[in-house]
Amino acid sequence: MECFSLLRTDVPTLIDHLGVYGDVVAPHRKGDVSYSFETVKDSSEVILDYNRTLLPLKKAFLPPVEKLLSFSLKEKTSSPEEVAIEPKVYFAVHSYEMQSILRLDHSMLSGNVESNYLKRRTKSRFVGISFNPDEFHFSESVGIAIEEMEGFDLFLNEVEGEFQLYVLTENGRLLIHGFDKLKTAEPEIVEGRKFKKKIRYHYNRLPRVFQYAYNSEVWADVTSRCVGCGACNLTCPTCFCFDVSDEVTVTAEDGLRQRSWDSCMLSSFAEVAGGENFRDKMVNRTRHRLYRKFKYITDEEGLPWCVGCGRCTAFCPAGISLPDIINDLIREDEKAQHHQRVLV
Amino acid sequence: MKRFEDVKSQEAQDLYFPTMCKVTQSKQITSMEKWYELEMPAGQDLGHSPGQFVEVSAYGIGEAPISISSSPSKKGRFELCIRQVGTLTNVLKNYEKGDLLGIRGPYGKGYPMEQLLGKDILIIAGGIGLVPLRSLIHYVLDNRKDFGRLIILYGAKTPDELLFKEELADWTTREDVEFHMTVDQGDAAWTGKTGVITTLIPSLKLNLNTTFAAITGPPIMYKFVIMSLKSKQLGDDHIYVSLERRMKCGVGKCGHCQINGVYCCQDGPVFNYADIKPLEEAL
Repeated sequence: MECFSLLRTDVPTLIDHLGVYGDVVAPHRKGDVSYSFETVKDSSEVILDYNRTLLPLKKAFLPPVEKLLSFSLKEKTSSPEEVAIEPKVYFAVHSYEMQSILRLDHSMLSGNVESNYLKRRTKSRFVGISFNPDEFHFSESVGIAIEEMEGFDLFLNEVEGEFQLYVLTENGRLLIHGFDKLKTAEPEIVEGRKFKKKIRYHYNRLPRVFQYAYNSEVWADVTSRCVGCGACNLTCPTCFCFDVSDEVTVTAEDGLRQRSWDSCMLSSFAEVAGGENFRDKMVNRTRHRLYRKFKYITDEEGLPWCVGCGRCTAFCPAGISLPDIINDLIREDEKAQHHQRVLV
Repeated sequence: MKRFEDVKSQEAQDLYFPTMCKVTQSKQITSMEKWYELEMPAGQDLGHSPGQFVEVSAYGIGEAPISISSSPSKKGRFELCIRQVGTLTNVLKNYEKGDLLGIRGPYGKGYPMEQLLGKDILIIAGGIGLVPLRSLIHYVLDNRKDFGRLIILYGAKTPDELLFKEELADWTTREDVEFHMTVDQGDAAWTGKTGVITTLIPSLKLNLNTTFAAITGPPIMYKFVIMSLKSKQLGDDHIYVSLERRMKCGVGKCGHCQINGVYCCQDGPVFNYADIKPLEEAL
């Protein structure tokens, strides 16, 4: 692994250099308090110090609304949507965000392999960046360090205001080929970037907590505050559930079939034609969302399906905190120890 | 965990593009249900197993999971029977011979036919639950010597709601089918049994070692039927249920059909009762 020093003032030049490979997508300011991953038009507008974007980077691979096919009602024909394989560099990505993409890879590419997702992912390159945790980040509690470099091709670690650039893959080496602002450096360990928000247990103890938490009173407590808006799902970088619908043009001659992000917190999510709703109570939906993050997939893959980005908490209109829910479950589990019913 | 690097591009598929299938026959068989026979393009075979489903779509309206109602032993064409209960299905009411329907699938796990060879098959169908079970019934009838007894219990709300009446008459007279039928509420012309479907179970004489039950019906039906079967000492692993969920994508992605951590569209819709008994959201 090679390590170079890079001046902060040279980062825009690096972004321009990366642009030779393909479009660079990086955090931009959006409004006064929010950030968004956008295609870079002017590299000086890229924000290096940001807490989190409102929408996760999954939007690049699993767009919020995605055309699946188009049809002509008049001609009685239809054609599949062809997704182009485009080289793109995703720049200044936090470690938890990269980990969410690796989890999305599993969700969309295991079992039935989805061609649209695979094509969007095929020529993607990732440049990571360190961050200073705010009051909502808790990725360390789910096993993801600030400097976790898995999945990245390059990684920028901020050291005293300047950067160290790590070259992690052959693709990363190709990305910086010919870029002359780098100086060979010794990797430095950065102290002092501490997480303020924590889950009390190591994440490998959480499946056991969840095993006994199915009938916990914590779910009713959360539900009493939840407004059921589904913002937690929509901002979650590992949520991938979607709905499919047909849209017809005003002339009623053509249309398209599209999928759009859906939310298991919405009341109609598990409803079938005829009105039967298999998760009709909000308490069941709340529990389902958390079990999807810490039990069901985790049992099979050994990893929490939550990456600790803090979005669901930061953007919850009711101020519900995911790590606080987990800490409540832990507290209740410690009190009740084994007296609860087991969900096998 | 599946990693992006390990995926080969040829493994990838357009999972959401339907095949257009032509309606070759159709018939409104009750006030709410219409039966269709469809043909795949270019003489292809659907290649399903009993208990599987397809995603049916009409462009501009939408897509919905529908059980396959014919046996795989019927080659070249397959059958659906669709209750008019939602936006799409009410549009499909107008589809006739020659119209094209979008079909994806077959999807999901059907009945384990290899394991059921030589066994006594006990069908318990409530209402529209007969539609997917008809695939299994036809399969057993088409391969009659490969199975033991075929016992069919069928319950509907009223005589008007009985499906496939000609076939019911056939099953009544066939010597190789033990057919019992009931309606919740009869009418003036009804001379058969009245009562819920569980009333047909106590008088059954079953060989517990060789009998496998297949249950499909409205959600409320399952636990009462299973209780009745349990009181006859039938083993959990001798009971199969087919469950309805919102199987929107059919390919294990969209999340709507989850039963706790299980995808109904992948691990079901046919489940062995022993496997799903621990799942709180199943029944």
